[in-house]
Amino acid sequence: MDTVNKPISDKVSKLGYALTGIGLLIIVASFLTNKQRGAFDYLWIYMFLTSVGIGGLALTALEYLVGATWSVPFRRVCEFLAGIIPLLIILVVPLIFTMGDLFHWLHPEPGDEILAAKKPYLNMNFFLIRVAFCIVVWFIFYFFFTRNSKKQDTTKEPGLTRTNIKLSVVFAPLFFISMTMAAIDWMMSLEPHWYSTIYGVYYFAGTIVCTLAIVTFISIHLKENGYLNPRVSNDHFYSLGTLLFGFNIFWAYIAFSQFVLVWYADIPEETVWYMQRWHHGWQYVSLGLLFFHFVIPFLILLPRSIKVNLKVLKVMSVWMVLAHMLDLYWLIMPTYSSSPVFGWQELGMLLFAPGLIIVVFTMKANKENITPVGDPKLEAGLNFTL
Amino acid sequence: MAFDSTYTRELPLVDSRSSFAEIDDTVLAPTERKPSKKWFVAFLMANTALLIGAICVGYTLYYGIGMWGNNNPVGWGFDIINFVFWIGIGHAGTLISAILFLFRQKWRTAIARFAEAMTIFAVMTAGIFPILHTGRPWLAGYLLPYPNQNALWVNFTSPLLWDVFAVSTYLTISFVFWGIGLIPDIALMRARAVSGIKKSIYAILSLGWKGSNRDWQNYERVYLILAGLSTPLVLSVHTIVSFDFAVSVIPGWHTTIFPPYFVAGAIFSGFGMVSTCLIILRKVYDMENIITLNHIEKMNKILLATGTMVGYAYGMEFFIAWYSGNPFESFVFINRAFGPYAWAYWIMIACNVGFPQLFWFKKIRRNIGITFVLVLLVNVGMWFERFVIIVTSLHRDFLPASWGMYIPTMYDLGILLGSFGLFFTLLLLFVKVMPSVSLAEIKAVVPGAQPTHHHHSEEH
Repeated sequence: MDTVNKPISDKVSKLGYALTGIGLLIIVASFLTNKQRGAFDYLWIYMFLTSVGIGGLALTALEYLVGATWSVPFRRVCEFLAGIIPLLIILVVPLIFTMGDLFHWLHPEPGDEILAAKKPYLNMNFFLIRVAFCIVVWFIFYFFFTRNSKKQDTTKEPGLTRTNIKLSVVFAPLFFISMTMAAIDWMMSLEPHWYSTIYGVYYFAGTIVCTLAIVTFISIHLKENGYLNPRVSNDHFYSLGTLLFGFNIFWAYIAFSQFVLVWYADIPEETVWYMQRWHHGWQYVSLGLLFFHFVIPFLILLPRSIKVNLKVLKVMSVWMVLAHMLDLYWLIMPTYSSSPVFGWQELGMLLFAPGLIIVVFTMKANKENITPVGDPKLEAGLNFTL
Repeated sequence: MAFDSTYTRELPLVDSRSSFAEIDDTVLAPTERKPSKKWFVAFLMANTALLIGAICVGYTLYYGIGMWGNNNPVGWGFDIINFVFWIGIGHAGTLISAILFLFRQKWRTAIARFAEAMTIFAVMTAGIFPILHTGRPWLAGYLLPYPNQNALWVNFTSPLLWDVFAVSTYLTISFVFWGIGLIPDIALMRARAVSGIKKSIYAILSLGWKGSNRDWQNYERVYLILAGLSTPLVLSVHTIVSFDFAVSVIPGWHTTIFPPYFVAGAIFSGFGMVSTCLIILRKVYDMENIITLNHIEKMNKILLATGTMVGYAYGMEFFIAWYSGNPFESFVFINRAFGPYAWAYWIMIACNVGFPQLFWFKKIRRNIGITFVLVLLVNVGMWFERFVIIVTSLHRDFLPASWGMYIPTMYDLGILLGSFGLFFTLLLLFVKVMPSVSLAEIKAVVPGAQPTHHHHSEEH
């Protein structure tokens, strides 16, 4: 087996630390200058990192669940991304201390009957229990998935694949429940009067698009620098590109479903959420999201030739990650400000989040095999052709 | 993909090393010999049901839809329930042939043809209902927008019109997809046909297929393009059906999760029906080594997944109905679960979310008897889902003064029975005259058929 096992270059990890460091400074400065803006920015970052972490875990589980072989050569990329999950335990702390700045339902106006009726769900204690539940579930599955996968590198025991398949089966429903909870709690409840049953699915779609994009980017980068088995070919990347393309259409489908139903029924309780995003400059962000997240990537990624053109695919991966950032910005920030804001404070997202992903990834990659060498399906995965 | 216990060797998709000739003989046998007595009995039963349905439709056409149980406030009854039910069934075929094709799921080859045929018949059956529902079916031509002397135009903002476009497009593309897939097989039947009439019919239908390299190349290309076209169509049809409800402001109908929820439900019900029919088919026509236990197990996994997705949607609806703080929303859902139609609601929950959970167990997934019972329940549950959505959301209107109950008449029941009659009549005719399994495709997945290097195929 010709597996490459060289450490990721120092430059990359240095870049990661630098970005994380500067990002952290900006976040702190942002909190100090305007606590509320800092809190919203930080929530934005937190949700993005959650997307990547649980997205990585979901893709890992998905491979086991459906018995895919082609993705085995870069399953570790997903596993390493899921390495963000343990950090969520620390990352969530600042949010808990700024909940008062984020959530209107913590201090409703007296006489607000609707919020009073929601008290059994939207209250501090239950909220914290749910937050803890989600992170614990993700962490447990992250721990077992990666432990078994890592153990297999040396033991080559097929039974470990079986165990992970079983885990993935249990994880699937728990993942959907916890992810929906996270989406509703952290983002939908920012507008506590507003509701949408599709919200969890919407967040799921964005999460998967973003994680697939990161996996594609990293895999291409690893391939270009000779970290992956040379047998990982364009057919593999074509498959990643197709999934990215497909899930992006799924995202658009879900976004459209939500929009068209709210628009058509025209019930004030529901339209308020879109009205907020259609005034005082937000309409440009909304339209931008439509074109930046869906229309343009759809047209670019449509031809088959693009999905095997690694240079373009790499650019499109970065594009899609930025699109997911924009998506989350669009979901979260209108609650903070009636018109879109983008200043030095928001740079925290652009620096801290990618920086942290790089740091986590390089740390993991330098400690563990980038290719799951003991996976019995690896050979079939490397032999994969269209 | 299914693997052996070491996860290094893929399990063969077709049992035993059947030769191509044996596969041809098995699959084409029903089309080449006289139908058995069983077939005639089944055909007779289907025809009787169809006749009963036709009589009820005749009464409806003569006297009007007052023959039905539809009333005020329940303006939509069995007509729309059956429409959505059959359209849902019509989803598995194209999902299996197009989406699973794009996902490179080769196990689809054994079941795709039959599922596609089923799709077409289900959509045809479904099409009857909205046309009857209009009350004046002879005016149905006006549903198509065309410039006319009266300057009468359809309402382009109505999802009911979108249905017309979506369903007819879907039917057309599914039919073309199915037809294209049949060409190589019909050519084979042409070659095997003994009687002259049969030969010339198949010769016409096979469109001059020679099996040349060029033929295959064009065929594969068209197949891929049609798969690409069908995929968004599958999703769009039930999405638009869900819009029929969800664009309204009726509590219980207007909720944003409806599109993906309906699509998941459609796939669920479609697979339920495919499984129901295939379990019988493989037994009756000795196709157990082509449509294997592994296929049944995989379909059961899809049933489990989609059933649970539907469960997620039920849960979200219920939760958000409460969370919204809208008393009308929560009333509808409480009324569903504990009102006069609670029995229908709990049948729906049990059949769609409850019983399919048994598929978590491998033993049950691979047990034909239990699977058959469970997929029958899926069919029942999905019919009741549409009953619950339509009837329980309407029967207790905003004002208690306008509350009512919906009781179907014998004409409603007769037409429902007739729809099954039509569906199974068409299906029985199909298995008689066409190969129920795509021979060209199944041969490509028989062990040893892949044109790869020797060591390559060993490793896979």
